[in-house]
Amino acid sequence: MKKQLPLLIGFLAGSFAIAEFYIPAGIVRDIQSKLLEFASVLAAAAFVLGGINVIQVNLPIILHRRPDWQYKVVLMLGAAAMLLAGIEWHSLAAAPAPTQVTERPTGTTALAISASRDDAELSVDNKPFVPLGSGWREPVAPGAHNVAVRIPQPGYSAIAMPITVRAGMELTLRVPVRMLWGPSGRVYTWMYDHVFGPCNATMFALLSFFIASAAFRAFRARNLDAALLLGAAIIIMLGRVPIGRAIAGWLPALSDWIIDIPNNAGRRAIMMGAAIGAVATSLRVILGLERSHLGRD
Amino acid sequence: MAARNALLGFLERFDRRWIFLAMGLAIVLPLLYPLGLPADPSPMVKAVFYAIDDLPAGSTVLVSVDVDPASRPELEPFFHAAVRHLKKKGCKLVFLTLWYQAPPLVEHWIKDDVESASFPGDRPYRSGEDYVWLGFREGKAVVIAGIGQDLAATFNGQDAAGTPFAELPVLRGFARLADFPLIVLVSAGAPGAKEYVQLVQSRYNLKIVAASTAVSLTDLTPYYQSGQLLGLAGGMVDTAEYEILVARFLGLDPKEGVGAKALDVLNIGHLVVIFAIVLGNVIYFAGRRR
Repeated sequence: MKKQLPLLIGFLAGSFAIAEFYIPAGIVRDIQSKLLEFASVLAAAAFVLGGINVIQVNLPIILHRRPDWQYKVVLMLGAAAMLLAGIEWHSLAAAPAPTQVTERPTGTTALAISASRDDAELSVDNKPFVPLGSGWREPVAPGAHNVAVRIPQPGYSAIAMPITVRAGMELTLRVPVRMLWGPSGRVYTWMYDHVFGPCNATMFALLSFFIASAAFRAFRARNLDAALLLGAAIIIMLGRVPIGRAIAGWLPALSDWIIDIPNNAGRRAIMMGAAIGAVATSLRVILGLERSHLGRD
Repeated sequence: MAARNALLGFLERFDRRWIFLAMGLAIVLPLLYPLGLPADPSPMVKAVFYAIDDLPAGSTVLVSVDVDPASRPELEPFFHAAVRHLKKKGCKLVFLTLWYQAPPLVEHWIKDDVESASFPGDRPYRSGEDYVWLGFREGKAVVIAGIGQDLAATFNGQDAAGTPFAELPVLRGFARLADFPLIVLVSAGAPGAKEYVQLVQSRYNLKIVAASTAVSLTDLTPYYQSGQLLGLAGGMVDTAEYEILVARFLGLDPKEGVGAKALDVLNIGHLVVIFAIVLGNVIYFAGRRR
């Protein structure tokens, strides 16, 4: 039963996913949509399993002071910090104060806007945002206006609201702006912008130096195959950039030919082979012939 | 003969850190002293431009921004250029991402280009009316298959800010991928353009253009040749070419774009790599002969 039930579920879900492709009926699409939702939930749950796995792998290394345990501490602290910053703590607090709107007759039709932070920006009637500072007041035409207030940095609440100003009245808006938590919050975006982003980009940028070094040390014309590869690489590297055209007008055309004809021929062959392999493997899983994904027990 | 041997000896002892220095200079110097060599957009890039340009004014376009900070230099100029192009056409925009690393980047870019006027004559777009940011949904290929059938079910019926789809005028009449006249993919890898083509393009007969990183270009060119991608911009070179086309379209200076400036870095950077290959082979063959 431990094996048969997962195999049966796999067979039914897999067979349905194939059959659904050929049956345009609405109910079939609804069931498929539900199955895809299940798959999304499973994928999200995998994140939790991933987190547990990170702890299982790294915590013993830290506790037993195994080699490089210091890096594991950084990893765990970084993960914990991002996790905490990613929780929407502000939603646990009391509801934010609403925008205060007051109206008083002054004889001049005007709009006065201020925010709870001096670094807020204001846009009236979809014009470009301008610094709001300690406040903004201007005469406006009577009628409807669009007001938007935001903080230039991400991670703060923003408002965009339509208002109506009556003739001879001054409408005053006091906009409360608050810092947010969660994936769009200030702390999370700050860590993303100033830690994760630069580290991620730096790792990738180092590739240019590794490629140059590898080109110098490893890219040798040892035989005919390697010489052909080397020649094609040089032609494509030159043909893909404007300086190639400046060197010889025919280089870009030759580069395009190599990409379009020999490269695509090889790519198609690999892709078709891989696709046929995927179909065969999928059929084996659906039919229960392939059971390695179920584990050993 | 002695001089030749001395030269070969020098080459054999050549420290690869000189290559690093050369690459560093190849990156920095062209940014300080631009070459400004003219770029000629390739047919694939022109196809991206015309696919967007042929859209009826005011169309609603889905933009899947599947990027991370590492791919930012290659793909950010394309995003900005495509958004400006689409805004000039008066198109409404629906953004989403399949990459968990993408949301903060995309939110920055939306703020810069969508919510603000980004070229002369442009206007800020209003969330919910002119554009919507659906955010990130985990599931990779499953999400692509899901939005092929039902956008609301896949995103729990709300955008990234929690606004229900029913309150978003921009999504009225757009329930699944097939409802969009064009899909623009800004795709740094998997899941991305390849998965969109394999899972939903043929099935729903979707019109798709894509921008990818340079390393993904050869993976995707077969799909461009087969017509499954209407246009393809691969890597910084194609991105810069598209940016130049859009700058001309908007009446801006093509040389002022980030991609155009980066072209000079690529020009010199490629020459340094080729020089490293040649030098390495000279040393190799000289050593073998001795």
